[in-house]
This record gives sequence, C-alpha cells and structure tokens, in this order.
Amino acid sequence: MRERFANGFDPFVIPFLIGMAFVLGYCIVAMFRIIIQLPKADRKRFLLTLITPKYIWMNIRDIFLNCLIHVKLWKRNKVLGYMHSSIAFGWFMIILLGHLEVILFLPNRIHLFYYPIFFNYFVAETESTIQGSLLMFLMDFFLLIILSGIVLAIIKRFASRIVGMRRTTRLSLMDQVGLYSLWAIFPLRLLAESFTAHISGGSFLTIPANWVFRQFLGNDLHALPTWWAYSIALCVFMCVLPFTRYMHIPAEMLLIPMRNAGIRIRHPRKGFALLEVYSCPACGVCIDACPMSVRKVNCKDTTVYLNRMLRRGNERRIEEISDKCLLCGKCTAVCQVGVQGPELRIAQRERRAYALSPSYSAINVRPLASAVVHGAGGESGGVLYFAGCMTHLTPSIRRATASLLDKAGVRWQMMDPENGLCCGRPLMMAGRTEQARELIAKNAEIIRASGCDTLLLSCPICYKVFLEEYKLEGVRVVHHSVFFEELIAGGQLQVRRDDGLKLVFHDPCELGRGCGIYEEPRRAVAAAGELVEAGKHHAEAICCGGSLGSLTLSYDQRRPMTRNALENLTVANPDQIVTACPLCLATFVRQADRPVRDIAEVLDAHC
Amino acid sequence: MDFGFKLSPSSAVNLDTVDHARYDRLVQLVPDALTCIGCGSCSATCTAAPWSGMSVRKVLLGLQRGRDDEVDSMLSKCMLCGKCTMVCPRGINTRHLILTLCRLSRKGEVVR
Amino acid sequence: MVNRTPVIAIIGAGIAGLEAARQLSALGYEPVLIEKAPVTGGHVAEWNRLFPDMSPAADLVQSLEAATAKVRTMTGTEIASINRLKDGYSLVLSDGNILVCQAVLFATGFHLFDASKKEEYGYGIYDRVITNRDLEQWFNTRQDERIRHPKAVGFVHCVGSRDVKAGNTQCSKVCCITAIKEAIEVKEAFPDAEVYCFYMDLRLYGKKYEDFYIRAQRDLGIHFIRGRVSEVGEDIDGRVVVKAEDTLSGKPVKVTLDLLVLMSGIVCNPDAQSYAQQIGVAIDDDGFLKSRNNLGSIVESSRPGVFFAGACTGAKTIPETLAEARSAALAIHHYFNNRG
Repeated sequence: MRERFANGFDPFVIPFLIGMAFVLGYCIVAMFRIIIQLPKADRKRFLLTLITPKYIWMNIRDIFLNCLIHVKLWKRNKVLGYMHSSIAFGWFMIILLGHLEVILFLPNRIHLFYYPIFFNYFVAETESTIQGSLLMFLMDFFLLIILSGIVLAIIKRFASRIVGMRRTTRLSLMDQVGLYSLWAIFPLRLLAESFTAHISGGSFLTIPANWVFRQFLGNDLHALPTWWAYSIALCVFMCVLPFTRYMHIPAEMLLIPMRNAGIRIRHPRKGFALLEVYSCPACGVCIDACPMSVRKVNCKDTTVYLNRMLRRGNERRIEEISDKCLLCGKCTAVCQVGVQGPELRIAQRERRAYALSPSYSAINVRPLASAVVHGAGGESGGVLYFAGCMTHLTPSIRRATASLLDKAGVRWQMMDPENGLCCGRPLMMAGRTEQARELIAKNAEIIRASGCDTLLLSCPICYKVFLEEYKLEGVRVVHHSVFFEELIAGGQLQVRRDDGLKLVFHDPCELGRGCGIYEEPRRAVAAAGELVEAGKHHAEAICCGGSLGSLTLSYDQRRPMTRNALENLTVANPDQIVTACPLCLATFVRQADRPVRDIAEVLDAHC
Repeated sequence: MDFGFKLSPSSAVNLDTVDHARYDRLVQLVPDALTCIGCGSCSATCTAAPWSGMSVRKVLLGLQRGRDDEVDSMLSKCMLCGKCTMVCPRGINTRHLILTLCRLSRKGEVVR
Repeated sequence: MVNRTPVIAIIGAGIAGLEAARQLSALGYEPVLIEKAPVTGGHVAEWNRLFPDMSPAADLVQSLEAATAKVRTMTGTEIASINRLKDGYSLVLSDGNILVCQAVLFATGFHLFDASKKEEYGYGIYDRVITNRDLEQWFNTRQDERIRHPKAVGFVHCVGSRDVKAGNTQCSKVCCITAIKEAIEVKEAFPDAEVYCFYMDLRLYGKKYEDFYIRAQRDLGIHFIRGRVSEVGEDIDGRVVVKAEDTLSGKPVKVTLDLLVLMSGIVCNPDAQSYAQQIGVAIDDDGFLKSRNNLGSIVESSRPGVFFAGACTGAKTIPETLAEARSAALAIHHYFNNRG
C-alpha cells in the first residue's frame, strides 16, 4: 500500500470533520450536563462505578450486547434484531477495521481522524497481501451486512407489518433528515469505494462493481464527487443527530453505566430522566405494546411520544400523556433501551403544583393499633393480613383468604377488619410522594404494634409499596399467591387437582412487572387445575385497564382495553380466568364471558 | 328584613350570592362531575370518611353551595385509594375529579 | 294476500308471546310459539303475586295458557339459526325442523341481571344475600335454607340498573315497586323484622303504586334509606353488614342484616340480540332491540315482517307488555292486509 497524495488530504473530508467535531462536542457537553445535574450522592456513586473493575466489565459487556448486538431486540423479533445489529455492529466493525488498516499499512497517518473512514480514497494498492485482502474482504463483508440492514429498514418504513410491527412511529422532520442521510451513507460508501477500487483495491463487492461501472463509464471523474457525497451524508447525519432519535446511540452508552450504577429518576426533566428521554430510539415498539393503543387515538399517548414531547418541551401534551398512562410498565418491559415510562410519568406528576394538599399527620391510629395488639392476644409473631381498600370491595377474596389461612392452621389476624388506611401506593402513583410517606408512617406504626412477623397482602398494589417503601425490620412482606404456594409446597394446604379444569393466570401489572412475581402463582394455580397461558403473558401480560395508575382515563375509554385484555386471556379457551389482584378481578368480572376468580378463591374451592 | 328571629349565616345557603367559580371550572375540566346522581356510594365506601367525613357527593354539593371550608376539610384526608371510582354507578373518574379540584384555587384558577 | 294462512313465528312464550298468539289466532292467522324453556309463562310464571292488585301470577299465566291451548307451541325448543327468505323467514330449530314463516314476532323478554357480577354485594358468596327472583321463589315454595326467620331484612334497589359498570345505564322501571311489594310481603311474613329499602331514587309512577309506598311507610314501618349500598361484609355470626350513606342526613350508615335482597335489574335477553343480528334487525345502544321509533311504532322493527312485543325493547310492566302484545298482533294484521 502506498499513499496517493503526499499531503494525505483532500477538501472533501472537511464536511465529515465538521460533522464529527460538532457531534463530539455536543455529546461531551451533554454528558457533562447530565452528570452535573445528578444529585450529589448519585453522582458520587456513578463516578465510583466507573473506576470499579466489576462495573467496568459489566458496562463494557452491556454496551457491547445492547448497543451493538441488540440482544434484547433479537429475542423479541429476529428481523428487527438483524436489522439493527447489522447496521450498528457492521458500522462499528467498519470503523474498527478502518483503523486496523491504517495501523497496519500507514501507521504514520493514524493521528488523522478521517483516514480510517476514507482510507480507500487515499491509498493505492501496490501488492496484494493476505492481511490486506482479508481486511478488504471483511470491509466488503460488513458493508454488505449493513446494506442488507438498510434494505430491511426501508422495507420496514414503508410496510412495517412485514417485519412484525403493526404500528410504528410517525417521524418528525429532523428524524426524516437523519433517516434519509443514514440510508444514504452506506450506498454512497459502496459507490465511492467501487469507483476507486481499481486503484485502492477491494474485495468481492467493490471489485466487481468497479468492473461493471468501468464498462460504461469511461473515466474516473465521478469518483471524487461520490466521495464528496459520502462525506456530506456523514456530515448531515452527524450534524442533525443531536436533534433526532439517533441521539439514542450516544445516550445509551451513558445510560447503561448509569443504570448499572443504580441511578434512578430524581427530577422530572434533569439528570437521569433527561438521559432516558434521549436514549429513546423512537422505534415504536411501545406503541403496539401499550394497552391503551387498542384505541387508535391513544397511540399518541405512548412512551415514545412522551419522550418526544419532553424533548420538545410541549407542556400541555406532557401533562396529558403523563396523566393518562395506566403505569402498567409494559413499555419498559418491551423497550430495547429500558426507558422507564411509568417512572418518567410519575416524576412529571410529582412536579405539579397544588392549591390543596392532604395531610394525614393528625390521624390517630392508636385505636387501630391497639385493636391488632388485642387481636393477637398479647402474643407476638403470626400473620397480619392487610386486605386493603380494594379487597373490601371484593369480599370473595377476603373470605377465601381467611378460609385458607384457617385451613392451613396459620395463626393470623386482620389489620383492617372494618376500616384501615390506604397503603400509599395510589398517592405515589399520582405523584404525591410526600403525602404517601405520611400514610406509610401511620401504617408502619400499626404493623409494628401488632408484633407480627409476616404481613400478608392480597392486593399487589399494596404489596409493591409495602415491599419497597416500608421499613419493617423483622417483618416478612408477602403476597397471598406466594404465601399459599408455600403452604401447598409445605403440605399445610392439600389442594385437590381437577384435571378437567382449564385455568389461565392473568399477571397483575403490579405483581408481575412491578415485583417480578410470575412463577409462584402459576405453581399454585397448576395445583388446582390445568394451567394454560394467555396469548401474551408474564412480563408481556396486558393490563386489565382498571389500573389506578391512570389519572384521567374515563370508564368508557378503559372498557375496550379490558375487552382486549380478556380476548388475550381466553385464546386457549380456559374455563376460568384466575388473577391475584382485587382490582383486576373487579374490572374483569363485569365484562368477562366466563368466571373470573382470585387465586385464593380457586385454591379455597379445591381445598 | 326582620324575620323576628335570626337566620344563622352558616346554616342557610343564599344561591344569589354563592360564588361557584371553583365548581364551574371543575366541571369544565372534568365534565363527568355533572352526572353525579348523589347516590352516596362514594361516601359509604370512602377510606378517608372516618377521619374527615370525606364524600365526593358532598364535595360536589358543597362547591355549588359555597361551602368551601367544608369542601377543603373533607378533601384534606383523601388518600386517592380509588374505591369511590370503583363503586360510582355513573362511572365518574372521582380520582381525576379530586386531583383536579386540589389544583384549583378558590377562585377556580389552576395553580402553577 | 297469500292464499294460505300466514304463519307467524313468535319467539318466546312468556306473557307477551302468549297474549300475541291469542290475538293472532283470533284474527285468523297461524301463530307458532317457540319457547326455549320446558314450560310457558316466562318470568311471570316464576313470580308469586303481582302488583298492583296482589293477584297471583299463576292466575294470569294460566288464563293466557288456556286461551292459547290450540296454538301450536314448541317448548324446550331453541332456535339454532334464523334466515331471511324472499318474503318471509326460516327458522332452524334445535330439534332439526325448519319453520318457514311470513312474519316473526320477538317476544323474547328480558334477562335478570346476574347479581354475582356486582362483586361487592357478595351474591353467591354470602348465604344471606339473595335476589328478587330467589325471594319470589320462596314466596311460592316457602322453602329456602337461606331464609329462616330474619330479624332484619334489607332490599337493595338498582342492582345492575342505572349502573354503567354493570353495562346497563337504564332504569329497570319495575324494581322500585317490586321492592316495596316484596318488602311488604316480607314484613307480613315476619312482622317482627325490621325492613330497610336502600334506594337511589324511588320511581313509582303506575296506577296505585303510591298506595304501596304509603302502606309500607305508615302501616308497616318499613325504613327507606336514600343511599346506594356500596359494600357488604360479614360478621362473625355470618350475618351481613351493609354499608351505605344515608344521603338525606349526610351520614354513613351501617346495618347488620339476616337477609339482603338484591333487586336485579332488567337487561336484554342475549338470545334476542343474536337472532336480531342474524336477520339484520337493529340493536339499540341500551342493548335492547331497536323499534322503528319509540313513540308510535314501538312494536315494529325497521325490517318488514319483524315485530316486537314486551320487554325485548326495554323494561316494561305487565300491563304494558300485554297491551304491546295486542298492539303487535294488530300491526301484524295490518302488515298482511297491506301486502295483499
């Protein structure tokens, strides 16, 4: 290999350099801004992980697997996985191999930024070596991979159903500019390299292309303009990148280490929240996933549009989207980047100003506390069962739970036989965290007074907040589905299995995606009958539509969501629908065409 | 006018002078509030009722009758648990109603 | 007019179907009654006594059955499908026969709302929670494990009526007066029992209905509480604890009862909806069948040769249903006259 030009420069690299300088500068400034915006403790924690070997390894691995290979997307949709990883990994490899070429053949030019990118323009092949042709082959190979990805991307844009997406995002103008410049980069590179392949050498793609072009193009005059075009496409892409969805590429590389460090959203618009917004690739997977999208008008209320509105600062729409969401968490479950849609929305809700704020500090819980002390007969230990607000409206759950506890011989008493306080989770969902803390303190007082060692919940909404926000040392917080499964496994509950009874389990959002409990209730259900699965289940289960998470959805708007969730549950034609949440139960029971039961009812009927 | 006895100002409602700006704004933002039939389901089921006498039914009436202090005191213990939404026969989103009301000043402006 | 006697398929042999069949045969037509249940008489046959005269329901049903003894009646017969012909309809019956008719009369009546769908009232969970139908059956048989000399009885109006969550926003029209009638009967059966009626609005508009109300108040001391029951719990003795708001005093009330009667509302018979869809008869947004208009042509559908009688178009009292059945018979008569 030898250099074609002594000065190693041509003006066509200038657009590329401008783009590169701009995007690097922008990203570095943005990165520092985000890090500075973190609360001090979070910042310290994050910076510490950057120098901890365990975290360094974790970060490198996650960035490689997620940003380049897109493993999560592969698991979800092979076509989309291939499309994304072909472009991301292929591009990465081309850049890497470009650098290798420079190091190998012209190590004196490695300090020039643009050399690895435009290598084939600046060199002429003098002799063919094994390393040389291997590198050339790999370059062509990865270029081909990328081009196949681009072809898929073009197909996806115009016919998203072919790649398995019902709906995809509508692009903003900037996104379109970014998209088309990205599509242009690689065909232009192929053309440019093909035109100069008889000088610089090439491989299976560029050499034949060069031969074909030379058959009808008499001269080399079009080579330089094509290199210009390639450089300009790169420049356009990099210059618009910060204002498009492609910002997710650099943002995700910061998001992954921050998430590994355990950073959470503390401010609705700054720090980690801002980073999540920029990490959204606007792929639109959350649109099909969102339970609200059964109504076409609600497609624009999905997380991808929340992120877009947050970037645009459209306050009216931010409020609307934030308040409408059911907080079911499915968008996060399917998101390739893991943007926390519900948490982002709760953060927006927290920011709101109120003329009137409730206060519970004046509530005297001593009578409630002394009732549970009295109920325990002065003995400590035992199970304290908190039915919660919603279970009071579903007496079947309360009754079945009590009956099962008695059958298993558990020493137990009820925390709220007549009335109690709310657990605080609905307030937290509404963004009123301060007020929720007051309720949490009050309930904790009652629980501590009872001297129990287990707090049993039949409502996943309560369960999540008791588990995460209450500081109850020495008290095990357990959901009834898990507790009964243990009693069955331990032999304290003998369940007769009805082999002819087909049961489907509906994962309540707060129990499944919220607390990661999927298998225990299924084992319990399988003890009573034949367990069948819904169309979408586990982390991809569909919210019943009754969620307290949504502040503004009306009953009429929720009804089609419930119907859709029921259709999903009945694909295997079960005899009964089993759930483990009073709210899901009450929501389903009125629209279902077959019995809907709480898991406790099903077990109690078979004990 | 002399009735020969005193009408206590706190127990009579003079609809001529009642200021219902807050109610007007509320029903503008949550039109469903207009469909309340006053069945009392929400009051009977309310988790906060034992502590503040909270009742969405009474809140809506109080707003229309100029009983702002009573309304605010009832709202002060609402825990947003959602039971009232569950039982409402007219399907009123009472949580949305309460949260919206909490954002309004007495003059009916949304506080920022 | 066609040469042979027109055949009119009457779907449902409740009081509407029976009355229409009687009138149509008197007019010289050939009605055919198709009834899914093994006996005729519909819901009324399950009832005990009827307001406003407190006459036995059995008397009404028997007189209608006697008057239609000669009408071809197929009980225990379901309709598998129903199709449109060039000038008539064909019904494929569950016994495999096909009935070709020139007109169809929907006398499909109503369904009582399934009270177990109102989870919070605990029907099917608590033994002491029953429905209006259960109570009427007890009046008939005086045999029900759940009813054993109650000291306190509650009636919940509007269960599955005027309730968007239950899928029925309409008033069921007859439950208020039925509740008062049944409350009176319960009080007469158990004079020492306290009886409570929990209502949202009392809608007592018919002839002599107000007399029932006055009698319940003045003579029997039945308590009327204006508030919808929101929760039903259970105490240690298995009695039911009812929570409601007494909206007139603005205070929450709680009362412990030995028996709670849910006044299940009237919803459209789902079979009627399915038949209507098969022959392109419109269903109204309240779930009932849609009349051509709701003033002068309640018994006519928008499709020629399809008529309605009774509760298939909405909640009705017995006199209204009977009047409609006669009116439908006349409408059918005019239909054939005009065709000729």
